Amino acid sequence: MENRLIGCYIHIPFCNKICSYCDFSKIYYKKDIVDKYIDELLVEIDNSYNNDLIDTLYIGGGTPSSLNLKQLDKLLNNLNNKFNLSKLKEFTIECNFDSIDYKKLDLFRKYGVNRLSFGLESINKDNLKVLERDIDKDKVKDIIKYCHKIGIDNINIDLMYAIPNETKEMLKKDIEFIKKLDITHISTYSLILEEHTKLYINNTKYIDEDLDREMYDLICNELKDYDHYEISNFAKSEEYESIHNLKYWNNYEYYGYGLGSSGYEGHVRYTKTRSINKYLNGDYIKEDGIEYLSEKDKIYYQIIMNLRTKYGIDLREFEKKYKSRLDNHYNYLKLIEEGLLEINNNHVTIPKKLWYISNSVIVRLLEEEV
Amino acid sequence: MKQENIRNFCIIAHIDHGKSTLADRILEKTGALDKRELKEQTLDSMDIERERGITIKLNAVQLKYNHKGTEYYLNLIDTPGHVDFSYEVSRSLAACEGALLVVDAAQGIEAQTLANLYLAIDNNLKVIPVINKIDLPSADVEKVLGELENIGFNREEVVLTSAKTGVGIDELLESIIEQIPAPKGDKNNKLQALIFDSIFDAYRGVITSIRVKEGTLKVGDNIKMMETGAIYDVVGLAINTPKEVSVKELNAGEVGYVFASIKGIQDVHVGDTITNADNPAENRLPGYKPMKPMVYCGIYPIESNKFEDLRESLEKLKLNDAALTFEPETSKALGFGFRCGFLGLLHMEIIEERIEREFHIDLIATSPSVVYEVILTDGTKVLVDSPAKMPRREVVKSTLEPYVKCSIFTPSDYIGPLMELCQEKRGNFINIDYLDTTRVTINYEIPLSEIVYDFFDRLKSCTKGYASFDYELIGYKESNLVKMDILLNGDIVDALSVIVHKDFAYSRGRAVVEKLKEIIPRQMFEVPVQAAIGMHVIARETIRAMRKDVLAKCYGGDVTRKRKLLEKQKAGKKRMKQIGSVEVPQEAFLSILSTGDSSNGK
Repeated sequence: MENRLIGCYIHIPFCNKICSYCDFSKIYYKKDIVDKYIDELLVEIDNSYNNDLIDTLYIGGGTPSSLNLKQLDKLLNNLNNKFNLSKLKEFTIECNFDSIDYKKLDLFRKYGVNRLSFGLESINKDNLKVLERDIDKDKVKDIIKYCHKIGIDNINIDLMYAIPNETKEMLKKDIEFIKKLDITHISTYSLILEEHTKLYINNTKYIDEDLDREMYDLICNELKDYDHYEISNFAKSEEYESIHNLKYWNNYEYYGYGLGSSGYEGHVRYTKTRSINKYLNGDYIKEDGIEYLSEKDKIYYQIIMNLRTKYGIDLREFEKKYKSRLDNHYNYLKLIEEGLLEINNNHVTIPKKLWYISNSVIVRLLEEEV
Repeated sequence: MKQENIRNFCIIAHIDHGKSTLADRILEKTGALDKRELKEQTLDSMDIERERGITIKLNAVQLKYNHKGTEYYLNLIDTPGHVDFSYEVSRSLAACEGALLVVDAAQGIEAQTLANLYLAIDNNLKVIPVINKIDLPSADVEKVLGELENIGFNREEVVLTSAKTGVGIDELLESIIEQIPAPKGDKNNKLQALIFDSIFDAYRGVITSIRVKEGTLKVGDNIKMMETGAIYDVVGLAINTPKEVSVKELNAGEVGYVFASIKGIQDVHVGDTITNADNPAENRLPGYKPMKPMVYCGIYPIESNKFEDLRESLEKLKLNDAALTFEPETSKALGFGFRCGFLGLLHMEIIEERIEREFHIDLIATSPSVVYEVILTDGTKVLVDSPAKMPRREVVKSTLEPYVKCSIFTPSDYIGPLMELCQEKRGNFINIDYLDTTRVTINYEIPLSEIVYDFFDRLKSCTKGYASFDYELIGYKESNLVKMDILLNGDIVDALSVIVHKDFAYSRGRAVVEKLKEIIPRQMFEVPVQAAIGMHVIARETIRAMRKDVLAKCYGGDVTRKRKLLEKQKAGKKRMKQIGSVEVPQEAFLSILSTGDSSNGK
């Protein structure tokens, strides 16, 4: 029997530096712990991977590029051996400019990595100071150039906005810099002050709401030649849309391996522990980390994730998947009347001018539960 | 129980003069409750009463007190103190032979002190004046004694108490026994019992509080409500001590409760007379003059499927609140609800709060309206208790609005600001009475609709809380009234319409749209808020489009986190009402009330 196609996310929690805003699972890089972690990660994969065909592989962090060459070699070599990658379409690794170099890029190339995602966030000195990051602009240009040279053309860059004291002029310069790099994908997120981050603890305030909105509009306008396929994501053209990330938004299944990772398989969504000690002891799943999904839950996720993209909810696919029409679950027609949703070609979407407040639209739809 | 050993009395006072605390102390002194059992203000059994510190529904309790070797039975009937509830005060009075008139030693006589005193005198009650809170550092007993003398009491008959410390309570009890006459009435006569209160109990049906005036009522009797004609068997009788104690019979002069498995709420009217169906009395007792509601508003459930529950809750509340009226109405914006009539604003707020707390129905109340009279061009007169019922302007010949005579009782220092307030509220000055050199009563004629808005708050704020007021309806006067509509996103929201005086429409319109802009949160679209008279827009504001929505990165596919975020956002907007495409919070509908602030310079 043909195995199903599934995505796979692998988390590498290590960083050389901790940024002030980051609340994701991360640990300072320490060689011996990284070695133990890679061993444990491979055990975890052995324990639960059942030879599904993996078509998208995404190594995120943390900072995967903070690992040394030997560690990366071991990790990638083992993944290549363990996973059935015969149908692999997209293989992404997240990198930071301060820890990446030519040799690591060569190694990625060797193991079939065909997409890179760089955390840049900003090139403005004041912004970087708030975020507690460093960027060497020349190195950025040089690394991107080298990627092109060795044939890794599919490159994403993360851009953050709404940083305290940021102005629209500063943001515009960031965007112009990124556009000039000739990359294929831009992800953009407003700064969120999450609990347990340095910024939050220091009582940092959000920028003015109106300015936040104007910044989002500025980004959309500056990137109007791009394919704005998801609220926060822009691709040079449709072929460069992230296949792996679309799995989240399409409510497709994916494995999650490593500290703090999440996965979705069958009737279960799970989250792994964030405690490195527990993880290294083989205690992978977070307390309360398993959510068993009823049909209703699945439909719920289908809706909240689908509506983030320009593809929206595909009514035909929905009917096929749930053997029932969407309006049997949520009265989306009412929102269409109110102008909060659109329908085109059997796809229900949030109009682009409302993407910025998509959560509010989604909440309105959830209120119309039948 | 010998009739000559019974005393039926109530306590009347201006709001906050310590009536409920005094009642508690009497309960303690007579051993009805020990200190441990005594929650503050035991007689106020509803949470709202205890929180607001005011007594809303009356309550009767029987106490025993030994005086000079004889056991006396004292029936204490509690009364509310606020101006809105003077009707209920009169209900309590009709069940008593005497009243304690409580005056705060620091504040002295206030508007309701006088109003209640006149009510008691009208009911032929023996009034015992009591100066309470004499323990306060600011107490000025001598001055208050002087005030009481000015209204006709002898200094000697005044009892001085501190309900807080217990001083003077024994003297008070003795005074009750010696001064207040025992009830009259013959237990061999035909039964006449006055219903002075009733409540609905989920297990026992309607429970009525009665005062037997003539004859005897026994368990097993077949009774008839003389006004409604309903007939029931008495299944139980009880007195409240304040624990419920069953009794076999209640005789002329006694106060107690009747259980008769009454399920039909409509059968019981407070003020009606109970008689024996097999041996009926010829006449009903003089009931009370039914109170007419002065203020109307629409009450709607936020969740439209709660309409029937709302009806049921109103029916139950009406049971011991004859002044509450309601009839179904529909609003384009709010769906199905009720047009409810109240005695005043406080009455309205309390009913709304009780529905929300006791019946768990989230409500939207529209801005209150008084009853206007509209004379049409063909000469017919129409009563308009809701802006929705205002006839088209083309067919209106003239409009009239109710006026009240408003008596403001105040230290003379505040005459200036109070007169300014009354002028602003379209009042006509009548006169000023000096009670003594420092205390005056200012009398004004003011449109009731102005009282309904923010008069009370303004009065309190411009006199640092020292002034009190009372009012009575004096009739209708011609006034140039118009209906002002409020439009959200270009559509009239019927529930926000108000009737206003034409000369004040512009300023009120401004104030309302500004207030709405403040209260209604940013929406998904830009929403214009307009005030209009007919087609003519007189004020406009814009609610800006929503800004902040969290655009968080979907870290490594952590979708559960996204769900939690949305659930949180969803829970946060529970109490909003969807009107067209605009989400409006509950308080927006009352915002029209509090717009006075803006003219106050706040």
